Amino acid sequence: MEHLSIEQLARLVDEEPTSAEADHLSGCVACSNEWEALREQTLGLGSLPDLVPPLGDWSVLEARLRSEGLVSDPGLIRRLGLAQTPAWMKAAAAVMLFLSGAGAGSMVTGGGLPGVHRGANPVASVEDAASAVRVAEQDYVTAVARYREVLARGGGEDSGSDPISRFAALEHLVMVSQAAVRQAPGDPFLNGFLASAMAERDAAFRMVSAKRDNWF
Amino acid sequence: MTADSLGTTERQLIRRAADGDARAIRSLYDRYAPRVYAVVRRIAGDDDLAQDYAQEAWIRAIRALPTFRGDSRFSTWIHRIAVNAALQALRKSETRRKREGPAPVDVPIAPAHKDSLLQKRLEGALDGLPEGMRRVLILHDVEGYTHEEIGDALGVTAGTSKSQLFKARAKMRVMLVGLDGAAQEHGAEAWSI
Repeated sequence: MEHLSIEQLARLVDEEPTSAEADHLSGCVACSNEWEALREQTLGLGSLPDLVPPLGDWSVLEARLRSEGLVSDPGLIRRLGLAQTPAWMKAAAAVMLFLSGAGAGSMVTGGGLPGVHRGANPVASVEDAASAVRVAEQDYVTAVARYREVLARGGGEDSGSDPISRFAALEHLVMVSQAAVRQAPGDPFLNGFLASAMAERDAAFRMVSAKRDNWF
Repeated sequence: MTADSLGTTERQLIRRAADGDARAIRSLYDRYAPRVYAVVRRIAGDDDLAQDYAQEAWIRAIRALPTFRGDSRFSTWIHRIAVNAALQALRKSETRRKREGPAPVDVPIAPAHKDSLLQKRLEGALDGLPEGMRRVLILHDVEGYTHEEIGDALGVTAGTSKSQLFKARAKMRVMLVGLDGAAQEHGAEAWSI
């Protein structure tokens, strides 16, 4: 007796057998068992469960969504009412944070300035990196608040409106940021802060220039 | 309608996510990531590739969210995106492989470990199938696509899809019998493919 081929049996999981196939199946235990096994296999495939994504999957996705501008999360800055903080001041706080070794960029990239105390252990996994970013975000918010406090104590809270002192502060900030970027050229955070600081410095410079008499 | 712990309906969640609300996107991710990951993992047959494909699927979905009109369920919509993302990525890598040189001769077969769980055995056998067969088998037997839908997705005829499916089922059966070590008992040696 010639058995049905396994592909024939696989077809019969979904389709009706021809009369010849039906006759064979009713008389052949081996084929009948094999057909049953294929049917169970197909049912098993249809009830496979969903799979849990690997740890850190969301963190990687979130970073990519942010880098592509698909997320407009207000973040802690806005939620904690720090949205009005001037950009240059935020950048200053971020760079100070980086130099203290707690910046997210330094932790993620493993970069940082030589001789500077690093506040975190090296990152072992994406999960660690994500956690580091969350901690850094909180530290960053705290740093912004502290920076504002320091400026206020020194009578500089409104120094954003004093173009000369602001320009001087920004010039210093640009230099520090450039030094930081040289240490970690691939760090997107630092590059962003540097660009922001340079733009603010240039704007301050234009304001300073506008207040002076033109010599020509 | 589905609601999360805050009573937010899925429709509201989708609208907020379309506006870029990170928390809404995270909620959608938490709900559907296992579904998305499962389908791309099975199509990819590899953990690392699966993660890349799943990421790509989510990026595409979030980009396309403003165009989601709710004609179908969100789960169906994102599932389609995931399947397409995985298939496209595989096609790209195949093209690249062809350009770079001959494909590997042997398709890796799942390790012959004894495992009482049918699911694990099935997953292992799925990973060992040749790519073309695996795609059809997953889309049909796991995901419930029709042969016409598979034909559209893979750029083949429904007939080709059917024939690939039967071959895939047969090959998988042989592999599972091999894993069981019970081929002789069921006379499986009679069916060599």
